[in-house]
Amino acid sequence: MAEQGTAVMAYNAAMGLALIEEMRRDERVFVLGQGVATGGWFGAEKGLADEFGRDRVIDSNIAEAFEAGVAAGAAIVGMKPVINMGFGDFALIAGDEIFHKLAKWRYMHGLDVPMTAVVIFPIGVMGGAGPEHSSCPEVLGMHFPGLKVVVPATPADAKGLMAAALREPNPVLFHSVNSLGFQRGEVPLDPDFIVPIGKGVVRRAGNAITAITYGSMLDRTLAAADRVADEGIDIEVIDLRSLVPLDWELVLSSVRRTHRAMVVHEAVKTAGPGAEIAAQIQERLFFELEAPILRVAAKDVPLPQNGDLEQLCIPSVDEIADAARRLMAI
Amino acid sequence: MDQSIPGQGPRCPTDPDFVEALFHRMAITRAMETLMERHTREHRFSGWWHPGEGQEAAGIGATAAMRRDDYLFYQGRGCAWAIGKGMAPDPIFGDLFGRITGATRGKGGGVPHWADYSIGVMGEGATLGSVYPLAAGAALAARLRRTDQVALANFGDGTATRGTFHETLVHAAAWKLPLIYFCENNGLLVGTRLASVSPTENVADYAAGYGIPGVIVDGQDALAVFEATTAAIARARAGDGPTLIEAKVFRRRGHYAGDPQHYRAPDYASAYRDPLALLEARLAPDRALALRSAAQAQVQAAYEAALAAPGADSSVIYRDLYHG
Repeated sequence: MAEQGTAVMAYNAAMGLALIEEMRRDERVFVLGQGVATGGWFGAEKGLADEFGRDRVIDSNIAEAFEAGVAAGAAIVGMKPVINMGFGDFALIAGDEIFHKLAKWRYMHGLDVPMTAVVIFPIGVMGGAGPEHSSCPEVLGMHFPGLKVVVPATPADAKGLMAAALREPNPVLFHSVNSLGFQRGEVPLDPDFIVPIGKGVVRRAGNAITAITYGSMLDRTLAAADRVADEGIDIEVIDLRSLVPLDWELVLSSVRRTHRAMVVHEAVKTAGPGAEIAAQIQERLFFELEAPILRVAAKDVPLPQNGDLEQLCIPSVDEIADAARRLMAI
Repeated sequence: MDQSIPGQGPRCPTDPDFVEALFHRMAITRAMETLMERHTREHRFSGWWHPGEGQEAAGIGATAAMRRDDYLFYQGRGCAWAIGKGMAPDPIFGDLFGRITGATRGKGGGVPHWADYSIGVMGEGATLGSVYPLAAGAALAARLRRTDQVALANFGDGTATRGTFHETLVHAAAWKLPLIYFCENNGLLVGTRLASVSPTENVADYAAGYGIPGVIVDGQDALAVFEATTAAIARARAGDGPTLIEAKVFRRRGHYAGDPQHYRAPDYASAYRDPLALLEARLAPDRALALRSAAQAQVQAAYEAALAAPGADSSVIYRDLYHG
């Protein structure tokens, strides 16, 4: 009998709860990373080593390529590795292992077999972490076919998407959002609570503009929607939750109603996820659109470490609201 | 004739049947190499084939020491490792020629991405020197499952400088993973001489820094390779951790098929010792000839069948990208 009810907990703790539950139900799951055996740098692995021992919760050296390569090798032979890369920026240190091996191994060997692996990329600003610890590289997972890509924006989704990722027969890049790590929310306690990969959700219904967002920008987009609602601009806010596969049905059906769209994300603007999303909407719905699709995204710079400048580089509620006004003025 | 998977037959270097089985696999590999060399010349075949002629003893000798369920991750020269671990010539030729009968079901074209998980052929990474952490992951999996399987990472001397060579060895040695590093040192990184970029004379010298055995073996001698690998596997199965084996081998041909090899001395081949001839001396004369003939016939038939098989069409393009 499934445990019922909810509890209020932090985003990272919710992700950790899914790890605990999946490790209980499937002994193929193990966790590897820097500091994971002592609870993880941001608390997601708290208590794991106490329950499952250091055989299954393994501290590594500072060796990201090794960690990701171990995940690939263990997944190839049927285990379900979870590695926490510490920061999404470090994806590039392990580029071969993630974007060639995890993404391409089965394809290039002609194997239609399951291969489960979860790579946790903590992404985005966290207040002065600097240009090499604040990146949002989720677009990389969209650009290398063979991977699935998720970015939860709430504690409940952090749990449900992690559980889904460990039951998914394909490698998943799991982007946990640094700025949400300690944000609390209601989380279902049912160990079989799953948020399906590839399904977005409408967080706010509206009929004038479709705002497509995910991750850290969900809250700011909702705040902007509230702000312009007083001005008579009714924004529908879609939280994508997954970037691969992307819930095109949800996006396109909304834009068919609103005829206006904007994409909001913390990743840099140029060649970011918004570029692909905007391109596909106009390819499919060109004659439905009343206005160009706007992108509200980070400035095209490495994020400065100065915390004040950092905030000036990523979309603010004001900027998102302004974009909505511009869309309506066209 | 023992055409079984290595490890199912007798495995003693003094057993004539075992020596014959080794020779037979080497003869199959050589026949494939010879055919591929000719095919490349006559059909202007893709230079993505990297000939392994002359290096057959390393892969065949090492895989003969492995069990069927041991994990092999191999490098991209030749086909000895896949043949030694139990793959037939047919899916290999089929893959090389882009046929749907190939191991990758039509996606191939020269670089070997042959895998058969049922016999522990786990695959090849074409970003050279990329299989170290993958093999360690398989070894870690064996540890977690409490089996006594081992994983073998096969690589060339040119990739012993990769960061993951060292990252992986640090962890594997610290955790005593059941991992074997098997280097085929032919002294050439494509066309660069290893001696010009290596601080040590031998790749095996690196082992000392990690506190593990570094073993140098004559890579042209299949039985010597077999014995060195057997010892390393026994050590790994016993929980004593990794071994770095360095087989000194000879690259008979270019880096890729058609490589003019301007970087080599004109008389480079004078130092070559044919690994088949070395092992042949251990067999009765009539047996070697019979084994070569049988191998030749089997390989020729596989080659012709592959050429006659249908090529891949666009239906394979999205296959194997996502499961389920």
